[in-house]
Amino acid sequence: MAKLKQRELDTPVSPDEVTVEVPVVNDLPAIRENTAAQQIARGRALRNYVYLPLIFLTVALLGGLRLSGNDGSFIFVRPALICLIFAAILLLLFFRAGMLRVDGWFTEEMTGTQTAANGLVLVSLFAAATQIFNSLIPEQGLPFWIVSFCFLWVLWNNLFAEFDPKRLLKSLGAMFGLAFVTKYMVLANLTAPGGRSWLRSLIENPAQEAATWLLDLPRFSAGTGYIQFFAVIIFLLGLFLTPSATNRDR
Amino acid sequence: MKEKYIHILCIVLTLGYGGLVAFLYAAEPRSLEEFTTKARSAVENIATKGTVVIGTYEVDAAKFNEGLAAFREDRFPAARDMFERADPEKRDARTQFYIAYSYYRQGWGRVSNDDTLFQLGLEAAERVRMLDPDFRSDDPDLQMKTPVEIRTELEEGLTVTADDFNPLRIFRERK
Repeated sequence: MAKLKQRELDTPVSPDEVTVEVPVVNDLPAIRENTAAQQIARGRALRNYVYLPLIFLTVALLGGLRLSGNDGSFIFVRPALICLIFAAILLLLFFRAGMLRVDGWFTEEMTGTQTAANGLVLVSLFAAATQIFNSLIPEQGLPFWIVSFCFLWVLWNNLFAEFDPKRLLKSLGAMFGLAFVTKYMVLANLTAPGGRSWLRSLIENPAQEAATWLLDLPRFSAGTGYIQFFAVIIFLLGLFLTPSATNRDR
Repeated sequence: MKEKYIHILCIVLTLGYGGLVAFLYAAEPRSLEEFTTKARSAVENIATKGTVVIGTYEVDAAKFNEGLAAFREDRFPAARDMFERADPEKRDARTQFYIAYSYYRQGWGRVSNDDTLFQLGLEAAERVRMLDPDFRSDDPDLQMKTPVEIRTELEEGLTVTADDFNPLRIFRERK
């Protein structure tokens, strides 16, 4: 093989042969740019289609999880109908504020798998939003109606306000933060601890026992507040990472 | 990794994880141990339903025989438990017939019958009739061979008639 190659090199080129000059272009920066663009696109796809559903479904899992005040066992609270309505309004708000764009998530140019994946990401976002309201709205009694009314008031007002995505995210952070403080700090401190006899609770904590009875507050373990704190943080992180469009050229 | 594969991964991941979340909220386990138990029973349930869908469902013969042995020893609750485990989908006429018969035998009394058990027996007999209208038992130990006979006996036991006050009724025998 080496001999053959040497012979080819030694053979003189005939003057009749046409020689073509190949322009030598240094393509290295272009190749590097292309590779970097591919890596960015892949990273973006992983964020949109792997991390975001994971984040939102984790919120959907944690949002309704409570720990019993008596024995610390799991209690899975299913969302009330009003949570679904609030989640629908919230999604509408995302589209209205431009945080999500319909033509950025569903277009004719997209493949079937991409459209299905986009749909599932939005479904997971809806599930997470439902469970966040389930987490932040008190479970029953008068507090349930008061906090629900406050949420409705804010969401309804926001529907007609001028928003940009950054402001909307800040507003949601503030709204969820306030609701979290109300439920897991104010109301939780008014709730008498569980696992004690009625008489003992009345003697040791008469005010808390009365508030628990009057406001119909459920007795959950302190761990519930920690779980829900992380649920809210993860949800806000998910919203921060959510792009307005999955097709970047639009 | 191609974007298309990432989309497919997203679909699989979301459906799988979403299914797990939905299962947790449906089953409501109170601890991790309970979660394992409930997951196992759910998987078994799905497997049984799968065999029904693909047409390979059949009664667990070993459990049925255990139930039959308990039935012959007059241990009716234990027998029913085994029969129900042998035929969890309630699709086998013979097993359902024994369940109806066990309700009859357990509920039968010389002086008075247990109406609750008789009512459950009626429901089981009705299931047999729906599964196989021509069902006839080949068990020589049983006096009643068809679901209609059981049904008639149970309905008579549930109805109060003048014959119920006949003192000679205490000499009658269980079928």
